[in-house]
Amino acid sequence: MRRKHLTQCLLVILVITLTGPSWTTQTIAQDTNNPFTSRIDLRMGQRLFQTQCTTCHGLNATGGNEGIGPDLTTGRFRHADTDVGLYRVIRNGVRGTAMIGLGAEPPDQSIWQLVTYLHSLSSTADDPGGSPVIGRQLFNGKGNCNRCHMVNGEGGRLGPDLSFVGERRRPSELLADLVNPDDEVSPRWWTMKVSGLDGRQFEGLRMHEDTFTFRIMDADENLRSFEKYGPWSYERIQSSTMPNYTQSLTPEERNNLVAYLFSLRRDR
Amino acid sequence: MTLTRLIIFALLLTLGRPTTAQPTAEPESPAVFSPVTWERLLNAGSEPHNWLMYNGTLDSKRFSQLDQIDTSTVASLKLKWAHHIPQLDRAETTPLVVDGVMFITESPSNVVAVDAITGRPFWRYDHPLPDDLRICCGRNNRGVAILGETLYMSTLDAHLVAIDGRSGSLLWNQEVADHRSGYSKTAAPLIVKDRVVTGIAGGEYGIRGFLDAYDADTGEREWRTYTIPGPDHPDNRTWAGDSWRTGGSPTWITGSYDPELNLVYWGTGNPGPDWNGDVRQGDNLYADSVLALNGDTGEMSWYFQFTPHDVHDWDAIQIPVLADIELDGETRKAMLWANRNGFYYTLDRETGEFLLGKAFARQTWAEGLDSNGRPIRRPGTFPSQEGTLVAPIAGGATNWWSPAYSPRTGLLYVNAFDGEALFFSREQEYVEGNTFTGGGTETPLAIDNYASAIRAIDPSTGDIKWEFPITPRSRAGVLATAGDVVFSASVDGYFYALDATNGQPLWDIALGGPVHASPMTYAVNGQQFVTMTIGNVVYTFGLDD
Repeated sequence: MRRKHLTQCLLVILVITLTGPSWTTQTIAQDTNNPFTSRIDLRMGQRLFQTQCTTCHGLNATGGNEGIGPDLTTGRFRHADTDVGLYRVIRNGVRGTAMIGLGAEPPDQSIWQLVTYLHSLSSTADDPGGSPVIGRQLFNGKGNCNRCHMVNGEGGRLGPDLSFVGERRRPSELLADLVNPDDEVSPRWWTMKVSGLDGRQFEGLRMHEDTFTFRIMDADENLRSFEKYGPWSYERIQSSTMPNYTQSLTPEERNNLVAYLFSLRRDR
Repeated sequence: MTLTRLIIFALLLTLGRPTTAQPTAEPESPAVFSPVTWERLLNAGSEPHNWLMYNGTLDSKRFSQLDQIDTSTVASLKLKWAHHIPQLDRAETTPLVVDGVMFITESPSNVVAVDAITGRPFWRYDHPLPDDLRICCGRNNRGVAILGETLYMSTLDAHLVAIDGRSGSLLWNQEVADHRSGYSKTAAPLIVKDRVVTGIAGGEYGIRGFLDAYDADTGEREWRTYTIPGPDHPDNRTWAGDSWRTGGSPTWITGSYDPELNLVYWGTGNPGPDWNGDVRQGDNLYADSVLALNGDTGEMSWYFQFTPHDVHDWDAIQIPVLADIELDGETRKAMLWANRNGFYYTLDRETGEFLLGKAFARQTWAEGLDSNGRPIRRPGTFPSQEGTLVAPIAGGATNWWSPAYSPRTGLLYVNAFDGEALFFSREQEYVEGNTFTGGGTETPLAIDNYASAIRAIDPSTGDIKWEFPITPRSRAGVLATAGDVVFSASVDGYFYALDATNGQPLWDIALGGPVHASPMTYAVNGQQFVTMTIGNVVYTFGLDD
């Protein structure tokens, strides 16, 4: 009995040690739901966000420039799937990342208001309401999307990996990608066309370009590297290699495909 | 004594010589380096084997007379040594070299002295810092100044310290401002006679900027010139209400000095809050300006404001390049300035008169400059609630990294960026010690969609003579040499050399890390070296021995 009591004591000490001072001082975050969810709270959370978070996450929380902080408007958070989890991330940060946390100073109310504000940023109002199951069939069948796109390790390499595309693109954006593929082409998916002085020609997706060199993947998925100031001329083609699905898929099929793509997020 | 014994005795004598204070550079010298007098600093260009101040010379041309590495030999450059900075953060240093000893500043506020031939250390000074620093943009330091045998360094807790150049011992430590109010210091000081002239950072914290001069021996302040005039000065009326009290206008890059005119030239940063100008109506003097101050008293001789009532964070934190140029058949004492706002300016450095100006990078906010050099703003370019798309970005068409001017080509070499950003305005109350920016910015497209270039500008016309494209961008300074080589680097870790006459690439090496520094060159024992900090490593290159 005495030994069991000692074990329990040690366990409590261990928990306190592992969770640090925030566990002992911020008891409100343990089991409760967010008590600060009014419009006023939302506005105050927004104000705090703009003073504390925009440097890394951008003014509209869509992610910092040059990849400093992730987009917080998708409704999915990599390191938290509950309000309490979000609260802890905001206060304590995420060890091993640039997310440093606000520390012990802000009152609980402010942290909860930030949680409220973050939830307000995500919206599924533009979800077209299609069937992800049918969408998946279209992706691997009629749409032939898997020829170029990989999902969870299966598919082609000639387009972006879509395994978690639902975390970074809203349904309306995914729909726009299908019908206007040339509108927003990331430079990673531009095409480089290379002409050699010996008459040889190469064409491929722009994997990386710097001041003196660039690298491509050609249609046969060969990786090739070129020096800009070598015996080559080159041009960048900034349009997408993806087909326009306005004609080849019906509106309903496109909605189903979008529903499938939007469902592609990390398991929690 | 036999011959053998004589030889052994001679060998023992040689081996027994004290070596602790002997740099590889000058093994016969009894000192690590000889004192750097004001006369040496005045004539720094005449001893090009040394790099005696942040910008090389008082006129800040960032031009070296060394020509061993030239257009025909630069392709043979080899790595000589590398010094790894232990603290991971932005490395923005330009080292000094004095008689074979190199002084490198490191993040956050440290300095190390190394042998300039081997990169191996003599000593280091690590400045203790409090936990409650207020810094907007990384824990960085750009360099030291030297006078006599003493180094002078700014620190992030807004202090100025004097360090013994032979041992690294702290000589004095002067608080310049209270860091808890948002002040910090990052720039290398400038020596003017027997004074240490030094600026302040904190433009994102609602500070009131100033430029100071301190007695080099004692650390006592000799003069302070505020970059926002007080209410007893008529220019204070360029700030609505009390907004001048929190108007920023910092001085966080090293200036220049003209000994004939006894004028110190120094750029000033953004007015605060950065993106909400509604609370500080008026031109907001002397933010985003260059100030010409008497070197003995700090009294203002003239000012020129590049961006009146700035609402885009376009600090005039560039190095004032002083050069005498031919303009309309007349030699003018000029100042060359490629500004963060996208325009290039040639000013008369005696009077501050605007001589000419022209856009050197993509800009969408002004129709041009009027006859006085004042920008003609386009309507609808102020930050807004929903975001207003404007070029350049807040980081500017160029920024603090050094330009370079070659008297041989008559060209100013500038690192330019053709980007754009959405500028948002927000209401924000000032709270001492908190950021005070009044909004923010975002680039609408991935950074790969934009590009930088090294541009060679003719200061007598403002025309761009050539450009060398950089993909995707650069935050590196530029160095020009008498070998007609221009050195610079790109953000993805290339260090490269261009032909100063036409911009053709001559040499490059991929070193991998991001670049936030400017190159410099020096020589020891007749061999020229060129040094660049990339990532957290200081690299030095030279030709074969």
